Amino acid sequence: MLDRLTISMRASHVIALTFFAVALCFALIATLLGDTFYMRLASEALIFGGLALSVDFLLGFVGQLSLGQALYFGIGAYASALVLMQVPSFWLALGGAILAVLVSSLIGGLIVNRVRGIYFALITFGLAQVAAKVVYNTRELGASDGIIGIPVININLLFFSFSAANPLAFFLFVLAIIMGFYLLAAWLLETPAGRAMIAIRANEQRVAFLGYSVRNVRLGAYVFAAMIAGVSGALYPVLRGFVSPELMYFATSGNAVIAAIVGGVGTLIGAIIGSILIVGAKSVIGSWTEHHVIFIGILFMAVVLFMPKGIFGFIRERIEMRMIRKASAPTEAKTSDETGVAGKQA
Amino acid sequence: MIDADYLQFILAPQVINGLVLGVAIVLVALGLTIIFGLLDVINMSHGEFYAIGAFGALALASVGLNFWVILVLVPILMIPLAVLVERLLISRVFSTKDRHVTTLLLTFGLALIAEDVLKIIFGPNTHRPDTPISGATEIFGIIIPNYRMFLIGIGSLIIGAVAYTVYGTRLGAMVRAAAYDRNMAASLGVPVRLVYTGAFAFGVALAGIAGALLAPLYSVFPTMGRDFILLAFTVVIVGGMGSIWGALVAGLVLSQVQALASLFIPPVWTEPIVFATMIVFLMFRPQGLFGKIGHA
Repeated sequence: MLDRLTISMRASHVIALTFFAVALCFALIATLLGDTFYMRLASEALIFGGLALSVDFLLGFVGQLSLGQALYFGIGAYASALVLMQVPSFWLALGGAILAVLVSSLIGGLIVNRVRGIYFALITFGLAQVAAKVVYNTRELGASDGIIGIPVININLLFFSFSAANPLAFFLFVLAIIMGFYLLAAWLLETPAGRAMIAIRANEQRVAFLGYSVRNVRLGAYVFAAMIAGVSGALYPVLRGFVSPELMYFATSGNAVIAAIVGGVGTLIGAIIGSILIVGAKSVIGSWTEHHVIFIGILFMAVVLFMPKGIFGFIRERIEMRMIRKASAPTEAKTSDETGVAGKQA
Repeated sequence: MIDADYLQFILAPQVINGLVLGVAIVLVALGLTIIFGLLDVINMSHGEFYAIGAFGALALASVGLNFWVILVLVPILMIPLAVLVERLLISRVFSTKDRHVTTLLLTFGLALIAEDVLKIIFGPNTHRPDTPISGATEIFGIIIPNYRMFLIGIGSLIIGAVAYTVYGTRLGAMVRAAAYDRNMAASLGVPVRLVYTGAFAFGVALAGIAGALLAPLYSVFPTMGRDFILLAFTVVIVGGMGSIWGALVAGLVLSQVQALASLFIPPVWTEPIVFATMIVFLMFRPQGLFGKIGHA
């Protein structure tokens, strides 16, 4: 039986597939033209897309707005950078980042999940600020300068290896990881645990009545989202060769929120494309004026006001309608609606 | 035993500095807490309104206006801006399901735009207007700059006036009624929409006047709202979102903590400590020290 969420996710997959094809075309064209700048910019946009995906997972499905998701992005980036300074192994760096994010997000999750709604937004905001200030003040972590001069490494995949300095190979690698996260998140939502997360957004009390531990489900969702952010962060120093406290600042978290909202909350793929749109817009508008924030701000507010589902939420709805019309039993699909019940805000 | 010199030249001036910061923070936090208490809006652009007030004072001073005129003019000029924001943005999404999140996002977007507009108009550099009241006075051997004394005085006056308006007047009773139960207040003839717009404009005007007052002290730059607003948020959360007394007590206590802690630990560490206080409060007492406005 197909419920509404499954149809929505299938529509998301259509967009994701299109996006994947476009990304491959871009890589091909950029390689033929001998471009490295835009390829590396696109890699960076994808990495931040992972952070936006993490924000979207929490906001779109569990109904929690995190204003401090850059915390885990930063922890992943710093952990990866610290390992890379010692041993030039990507997989060790990744392992270090995963471990650091797992531990910190478990602690962070226990702290922030004590509160709900608007207080959740504020506490995530505060937590990231504290962590950013601590990093900023710690000389061992490079203080305000961050860690610079991270060596360029070779990434070993089972049968071959490539240099992180190779723009095409690294772009494809990042693309694979971020799309992997997208699929992982989509898969998780189809599992009973994922359904419980979505149910929390609709009505937290009833989830408890059904015998689920609300606390564990919330914590699980939080740690999962933090992992996506953290692993994306771990890729950052590999690409750019440095990390700085700015990665943890509110500006980074805020950009991820903007990307997720503009792209479309609850579409998963929208957040990734949204991040690319934002980075792209910054780069294009930034080439003729330094005041690009104003345009992004206006775009963001316009989307919040007039297109609450975001650009790809809007497009996805059109795709969904076509899918429903095509399906043999169109009435059945409308019965369960994951957005039907008003979420309880604190 | 603390010796007299330490008391006179280090501790006491630091307490005074903390008091000045405290009064400033309370002015900004009051607006924030009134807007939250009444409209349930987390105003992420409040820091930018504070910055607009400071830049407004700067601009008015550059055309040769007197400081006292500016002090009256800035909050008056902020009101139409605030009314516009409330009517065009906030009231538009007020009845949507996720209005907490939506209004937070809208004001966040507004903050981004406002900051960039300030950069376009005034440039990214730091300005430092002249102190309108110069000189210093010695009280019990403690030397206090006159402008700081004036700030503490006028700040207390404004805070007192706000508290009196909210708790002692008929208008304040309407505001509290609207905060407690807006449907009931509306059915009893309180013009709730007008009260909302008015409260928002009032909060913004307070931020503006704080900006104008503090410009000579903390200097003026486009991102000045960002650092300040975090502290204001902390004050509002610790005091209780929507509580006027809470903002006052928390503002004065936290600014003293920050001022005095910087005597014992490196000043850069005082900020994380203050923010950590906010997290602890959010964890264990999210309603803050005092209840919400309108709830006794």
